[in-house]
Amino acid sequence: MRKVGITTTIPVEILFAAGVVPVDLNNIFVTHSEARRLVEIAETAGYPRNVCGWIKGLYGTVLDSTDINELVAVAQGDCTNTHALMETLEMEGVKTIPFSFPFDRDRDLMRAQIEKLMRYFQVSWDQVAGAKEQLDTLRKRVWEVDRLTWEENKVNGLENHLYQVSCSDCEGDLTRFASKVEEFINEAGQRRPYEGTIRLGFIGVPPIITDLYDYIEEQDARVVYNEIQRQFSMPFECEDLVEQYLLYTYPYHVGGRIQDIYEQVAKRQIDGIIHYTQSFCFRQIQDLIIRKKIQVPILTLEGDNPGKLDARNKMRLDTFLEMLR
Amino acid sequence: MLCGMDLGSRSVKVVTMEDNQLIDTFMFDTIEFYRNFGKKYHEELIVDFRGLGLPVADKIVSTGYGRLTIKIARSEVVSELKAHMLGAMNQTGLKNFTLLDLGGQDSKVVKVNNGKMVDFNTNDKCAASSGRYLENMAKVLGISLNQLGKHYDNPVDLSSTCAVFGESELIGKIVEGRSVEELAAGINYTIFKRVKPFLMKMLTDPIVFTGGVAKNKALHKIIQDELSVQVIVPERPQMNGAIGCCVYAGDKL
Repeated sequence: MRKVGITTTIPVEILFAAGVVPVDLNNIFVTHSEARRLVEIAETAGYPRNVCGWIKGLYGTVLDSTDINELVAVAQGDCTNTHALMETLEMEGVKTIPFSFPFDRDRDLMRAQIEKLMRYFQVSWDQVAGAKEQLDTLRKRVWEVDRLTWEENKVNGLENHLYQVSCSDCEGDLTRFASKVEEFINEAGQRRPYEGTIRLGFIGVPPIITDLYDYIEEQDARVVYNEIQRQFSMPFECEDLVEQYLLYTYPYHVGGRIQDIYEQVAKRQIDGIIHYTQSFCFRQIQDLIIRKKIQVPILTLEGDNPGKLDARNKMRLDTFLEMLR
Repeated sequence: MLCGMDLGSRSVKVVTMEDNQLIDTFMFDTIEFYRNFGKKYHEELIVDFRGLGLPVADKIVSTGYGRLTIKIARSEVVSELKAHMLGAMNQTGLKNFTLLDLGGQDSKVVKVNNGKMVDFNTNDKCAASSGRYLENMAKVLGISLNQLGKHYDNPVDLSSTCAVFGESELIGKIVEGRSVEELAAGINYTIFKRVKPFLMKMLTDPIVFTGGVAKNKALHKIIQDELSVQVIVPERPQMNGAIGCCVYAGDKL
């Protein structure tokens, strides 16, 4: 089957409607046994050292793969480094299709972008509606995984992260992913609830650090809210596809994210927030806005290349949790 | 007797205390300490207390750079920021202040309200605002750290954000004919500029300034003048973390 890479969440309904297998390159990269080698591929090609590890990893992932020659890249709303990612991959013969989330959430522009992508994949609104119905049913079950995390305290932070982050491409197979989610819900529902741990929120892009959730849990704390990952599961009832991608908070003005964080912090009784950013990312600037607007203790954590927590970040996490106790 | 150990990146500081009174202080070069007086056994570090001339303590608490990689045998471990906060409270008697600790490689800012840590920040991936930077720059100028720490007038503007590239920038300014005093003032101001954003985020009056860099009198004055707050350097700024370890040990008894 035709595989198409994606650089972040896009209206994946269109790809499924076209019978194409979406592959979220981030997931392939960060779970790769040789993730550092993928970064090195980009650095050897000439990507600077002081550029986000995710972008370099995506470049390396595409070049390292044997079956991804086509890529939908989010040119607006995610990361401007994606522009150069597209350009450098094009030089290597990869077909790139840009997709833009309009910064001001303009409905007409959003519709135009969606219809452009539909034309490229040659699908009709009816076909897209069929895929959306299937995806909506599946996403609702992932909401249940999230609810089991914060309300019933039966799911840990890593599991919550994994199921929600997988919603960007549903692991390329809706039926298989749906039954995986169902099996997990059945198993997790039987568990005894976690007790008495510090409740953390994780906000910002998904971490490039591989043992973050495990380390947090070793310190008797638990992430009960993964902000952006939750957004990947489109956590809102919405019939209209254009409206759905306008409600999605991640690619637009940070104000929408802050409103969402504000509501979830109260609802999930969160004790403290970890604001995760990548080294060299513009989102590090937004830390100052978030700190002003959100009134719970915040730890800003920075990640660079894929791998385990370094001593300094461990020290920061320890101190933060000690402060919350 | 209680023994507090701060395993720093440049030096190991040891303090002994009894009944909340300081008995003795010791300082060792970090590399020598590990090379000559430490031996790893299973996952713990056995320290040759006798070889170091240290007394036998009833309780040992350690903190610092090696905390996550090395646990000293028979010791309890406390986080660095907590140790420094406790040390500062013990040395100053204050409960509301902002702690600025500038050590060999690390910079830490901790906001303390009613004796509790409410916010903190540390440097990341860059040691440009640390003691090591001052050591390197003093070496380039051919003066002692003590001399370097005397100057704050007419600072030369040094723009490099990297401690290593900063050296070549400094050499360029020497070639331009700037005086050693102006260059030293510029170096001290560079440290201030690096820590200012951290301090501004959690500023309290007073600032308690600790770590080896707190011995730099010019920096003390620069922070005080530029931020219009009182800056208190406790009697033993470099021993602050080790003192905090003893305080922690005492509280736990």
